[in-house]
Amino acid sequence: MNLISGIDITASALAAQKTRLDIVAQNIANAQTTRTASGGPYQRQVVSFETELIRSQGSAGGALQSVRVAQVSTDRSPGQQVYNPQHPDATADGLVTMPNVNLSQEMVDLITASRTYEANLSVAKNARMMATRTLEIGK
Amino acid sequence: MSPIGSINPLFSAGAPALNKIDAPLPKLPGLHLGGTAAPTTPDGFGRMLDGLVATVDAKQSEAKGLTQRVLLGDSDQLHQSVIAMQEASVSFSLMVEVRNKLIESYQELMRMQV
Repeated sequence: MNLISGIDITASALAAQKTRLDIVAQNIANAQTTRTASGGPYQRQVVSFETELIRSQGSAGGALQSVRVAQVSTDRSPGQQVYNPQHPDATADGLVTMPNVNLSQEMVDLITASRTYEANLSVAKNARMMATRTLEIGK
Repeated sequence: MSPIGSINPLFSAGAPALNKIDAPLPKLPGLHLGGTAAPTTPDGFGRMLDGLVATVDAKQSEAKGLTQRVLLGDSDQLHQSVIAMQEASVSFSLMVEVRNKLIESYQELMRMQV
């Protein structure tokens, strides 16, 4: 039994956007990381989403689709080369390969994730308000 | 059957604290008069209320468990915990609404001219 309709979908969307926010945080935090466990500089991570059937709705007929994180893939584009001979990860030419993280792009991703989260939160708030208002019929 | 007799299972089912308040009642001999509905086997409406209380209780303990997991750091699904709390709150309001309707109809019957 689910008293507040559609709240499962909103919950999964919130979880997906939260994962996206986590990945953006990881990208920004590692914007200067030149050494990773797999060797080489940090590579930017990208989140993609996919739909997920949650349950068949008796009244609506069709099945409802929620969202989940499909995969966290790696952005393979080359990073910027910076001349810095004092750096421990510099090559013989004195060049250091920096991560391919673009801070302004990450900030745009951050704002998008945050605004999508907010939109889903207002869906949850409205669904709850509808249920509460329905209970006020008897008053 | 007195309508209040069907409320008794409501209190003996879900809330342990109320169970204690309810406990001394059967010892009083005068209170067994209209007891066609025994508290152990509620019929019809009593059983429905019983199920309602059990559902609300399950939702509240689910919300409690999720909140506890978030607070202990086992889970970072903060929204799940808050949503579970809201669901528990709405189902509790529904239960209170059903109870209000029951009391209202009982009072309506008591006001009836004979």
